[in-house]
Amino acid sequence: MSAVAAAPRYPFARESPFDPPPQFARERARAPLFPVTLWNGARAWVVTRHAEARAILLDDARFSGRMAHPDFPTVTEARVTVDRNERAFVGMDNPEHDRYRRLFTREFSVRRMQALIPGMQALADDLIDDMIAAGPPADLVARLAVRYPSLVMSQLFGSPYEDHTFIIGCAVARHGLTQTPGEAETKARELAAYVRRLIDAKERAPGDDMVSRVIAEHVLTGRLSRDEFAEIGAMILRAGHDTTTNMIGMGALLILRDDALRARLAADPAQIEPAVEEFLRYVSPVQFSPRRVALEDVAIGGVTVKKGEGLFLSLPAANRDPRVFADPDTVDIGRDNSMHMTFGYGIHQCLGQMLARYELQVMFATLLRRLPGLRLAVPLEAIRFKNDMQIYGVHNLPVAW
Amino acid sequence: MRIRIERERCVGAGQCVRVAPAVFDQADDDGLVRLIEAAPQGPEAERARKAAQLCPAQVIHIEDQG
Ligand code: HEM
Ligand code: SF4
Repeated sequence: MSAVAAAPRYPFARESPFDPPPQFARERARAPLFPVTLWNGARAWVVTRHAEARAILLDDARFSGRMAHPDFPTVTEARVTVDRNERAFVGMDNPEHDRYRRLFTREFSVRRMQALIPGMQALADDLIDDMIAAGPPADLVARLAVRYPSLVMSQLFGSPYEDHTFIIGCAVARHGLTQTPGEAETKARELAAYVRRLIDAKERAPGDDMVSRVIAEHVLTGRLSRDEFAEIGAMILRAGHDTTTNMIGMGALLILRDDALRARLAADPAQIEPAVEEFLRYVSPVQFSPRRVALEDVAIGGVTVKKGEGLFLSLPAANRDPRVFADPDTVDIGRDNSMHMTFGYGIHQCLGQMLARYELQVMFATLLRRLPGLRLAVPLEAIRFKNDMQIYGVHNLPVAW
Repeated sequence: MRIRIERERCVGAGQCVRVAPAVFDQADDDGLVRLIEAAPQGPEAERARKAAQLCPAQVIHIEDQG
């Protein structure tokens, strides 16, 4: 196909801070997927249509999600190193994936996550108290968006909150677009070593937390080694921080830029839940996952994906597919957005999705209730968007009240 | 409507419990799907259909009887 030479370099830049790169909509109108060239010259595919993305994520026989696969596609050189060394189930195919994931599903059940809501509420109130006490203006990202998911995760893990800056540093080192392979891998090792020390400490002095329960249930019974648990724990810590942080920053911005939406949410807290689902669809913070590699030649939508070629199942693109979401570039909290793919699809669909949903619902409801006069303290142009990261969001959100 | 689940392929994402809590539950011991109501009716049947559509592992099967 002549497109080989023409395949554009991926990733693309955004033109609007609220919309994915315009190439997605253009290419999606023509075909469900299109070829791109990666940093290392490899050819890969970006899947932009919802139906095909879902179908590929269900097709485990022909598409592998094994991150250590030599042909697994990445957007940076640093990511190759950390992917090859990924030891947790996020980087495994079945049957290994389900075997390990199931050791943790109980800890993330809907009922377990609901039980965490009162604790989240207390954390959200405390952080907002602190922000009010310090007085306006404040950076909502530093004050709330970064700290709150971190506090929730430290309660879940039973880890000291003082460690949160270190943990966030480790997550950011993986999710940047500019790190060297050495930096990214060093942080990955440091985080696994940290979780390993936490496991040893909990084994000596168990608490009422996830780490202690998994030790009792799976480590001491020989189903899971301490080192395997350390790798999985590190993966869960990384997955639970950055994503939620960015949804809080972007969600707050979506509320504060739109007076009608803000008034509607303040007047009727029952609208918070559908609003969070719509923010999840519209923002789609995870930019470059899920990914797959074709295990054989596969014909899709008029092209052939060759064995060994990589695919990016673009969640921001699938979530703006007009075949599924009418007028997709508009925030409409009344729409049926239940098919959004923000948490992925298939066997790797986010394990922490209910935790994330409740965290976001509690935070936005509390913000609107506690700070009815909250407003942006700067014009939109002064907000720095995360075009330099694999998880999209805002670096800062100056607010006043 | 009759519902059949392939529990051995469930990944415990909880979408079913989120959208149809009267039909599906997650077992306390492993967090995987448990069927509470195999033949839901009316609005519960519609919720079960939604759960089947959203289930990321596609392990909820709806069999409609004529
Ligand atoms: C709004 C917040 C979040 C978003 C948008 C999000 C998104 C995602 C996505 C897209 C995946 C699939 C990745 C892939 O297929 O390669 C995923 C996987 C995962 N997420 Fe989340 N996530 C969020 C919050 C969380 C939280 C709070 C936790 C844990 C506390 C978490 C834990 C995980 C885990 C463990 C996986 C791997 C699942 C597997 O491979 O089976 N996530 N997430
Ligand atoms: S939605 Fe599907 S995978 Fe998730 S718990 Fe229910 S049956 Fe299992």
